[in-house]
Amino acid sequence: MFGPVLLAAAALLGSPAETRKVTAPPPQPYEGVYQPRGVDELGLWKMDDESESQLARSRLVVRDEALTSYVKGVLCSAVGAERCGSVRVYVMREPSFNATMSPNGTMRVYSGLLLRVRSEAELAAVLGHEFGHFERRHTLQRFKAHRSGTDLLSWAAVLASMNSNPAAQRSFGDLELSVYGSLLRFNRDNEREADLIGIGYLNASSLQPQAAARVWQNFMAETEASAMARGLKRPRFDRVAYFASHPPEAERAAYLGALALPEGSSRDDGAVKYRAAMAKWLPVFLEDQIGLNDFGGSEYLIESLAADGWTAGLWFARGELFRARGSQRDLIHAAEFYAKAIELEQGHVQAHRGLGLSLVKTGRPSEGRKALQSYLSLAPQADDRQMIELLTSSLTETPQ
Amino acid sequence: MKTTILAVAVIAAVASFGFPAAPTLANDYREKGKSFELSGSGVFVSPPRDWNRLSIRPGKFAETWTLDGEQLNDVTFYSGVEVGAPLVKERDKKRQPLPRFTAETLLVEVPELLEGTYRAYKQIGEFRSLGSRPGSYLGAPGVVFNYEFTDADGIRRSGEAHAAIIAKKLYMASFDAPRIHFYQKGVGDFRALLTTAKRQS
Repeated sequence: MFGPVLLAAAALLGSPAETRKVTAPPPQPYEGVYQPRGVDELGLWKMDDESESQLARSRLVVRDEALTSYVKGVLCSAVGAERCGSVRVYVMREPSFNATMSPNGTMRVYSGLLLRVRSEAELAAVLGHEFGHFERRHTLQRFKAHRSGTDLLSWAAVLASMNSNPAAQRSFGDLELSVYGSLLRFNRDNEREADLIGIGYLNASSLQPQAAARVWQNFMAETEASAMARGLKRPRFDRVAYFASHPPEAERAAYLGALALPEGSSRDDGAVKYRAAMAKWLPVFLEDQIGLNDFGGSEYLIESLAADGWTAGLWFARGELFRARGSQRDLIHAAEFYAKAIELEQGHVQAHRGLGLSLVKTGRPSEGRKALQSYLSLAPQADDRQMIELLTSSLTETPQ
Repeated sequence: MKTTILAVAVIAAVASFGFPAAPTLANDYREKGKSFELSGSGVFVSPPRDWNRLSIRPGKFAETWTLDGEQLNDVTFYSGVEVGAPLVKERDKKRQPLPRFTAETLLVEVPELLEGTYRAYKQIGEFRSLGSRPGSYLGAPGVVFNYEFTDADGIRRSGEAHAAIIAKKLYMASFDAPRIHFYQKGVGDFRALLTTAKRQS
């Protein structure tokens, strides 16, 4: 399944795969500042420069110097200071699991990725992969491959239209499938190559390279939890769909695990530092995640974050998740979760609000009113104060 | 949400060149002073100025009115949303479900319902609630709330919504417009339009 990558790694190492464990090769020597070459690449850079100048002004960029510099620091710790200098990092307020890298050195890191990874090593694995695309000029390669493929199809369409034989049309249809299939396979091979480069960076760094496989294992577990909660079939992670842009997740987890340097497993993965750096943003990113209305996925993420211990913020997020789904059973659970948040942090304003609303909706208006009054006393300037007061006054009038 | 609808509209318009008179593609003129029913819900409005109603509706209970195009000023009426229904049509009921209006939804939670719908439908994180206060809609006690969000097009939009729950159904009208220029320009027309809304039981 991951033969091509292992073979590539074996070839680069110059030793047969069967004689010793094959791990990803270390990064090649740095060739200096990366500059565009040729008219195609110059064009791509110009487009990217324009896109970046819009990005720099975008509201979607998280304006937190400390966070951005921390994320860049993690990238630098993987790829080295020299390479790192050619990258500008932008943390995007986007709740999906993603990061991208443009040909001109613009790296977009989505907040959904920051919520999902658990350590500096896991983050570095993804950022190193993206840097691999940049270093190997994959966008340019894809552009050229796409142009050649569509050129071929254009000429074939002209020739097929000149031939009235139905076999010519069938052949054209076959050719179309073949060309598009090749382009998509080319993309997947680019991804495999970027994975190989990314794990090579991790092997050569001071971070734990085994983290790369964990990223995909966690992603599969989350996807499965999401599908189960929605009553969908168990997703397959081992199949390559015709239109797939990336290799299947199970394949990636397997070859990344195999390519990781075994001696690296004793290294620090930077989980403690990562948690500290994300502490300020975790409630915001969790709120964004809950807003996606993906109950199973969000529940999985909250529980995995709680593996290091439940905090008031995590109990609160779980309460919000259950209250948003809103069945009577959910609301009773939500009230319990908010209460646990308050136990840990008396002054958690929003937990008092959530508790009050959940209690009101589950037939406990007196307790609900009390919780809502606590909310208002803790947050006298609450932006929904008048609505909450209206609700509590209506509860007073309700006969008990 | 609106971007997708616009894209579908463009595709539909291109596909309709062979049938220029196709009535399903025509947006409807809403002439000043006349009375128009919203989504067959028994709610009528008599616009104080001319508006356009988009033919492509966001959902069974919703319809969109605009002055200059939905990207610039978008009034969406959600009329008579039933218990168990989402505010707008789900793209994929199983894989991308939207929050639903439930029998337990409190008036104070209606802003969260709209926020949840925007976040889930648009897959965005940049949404900020700016507060809610008691108000009235269709002559019933309700809630008025304001918010801001940044859509996939990167434009920061402001919004105001008025809602009420009447006979276990949700009635709401929202106005979204780019924060720069268009919100201030259009919010007065939106509020004036709402004052004419009446519900026939």
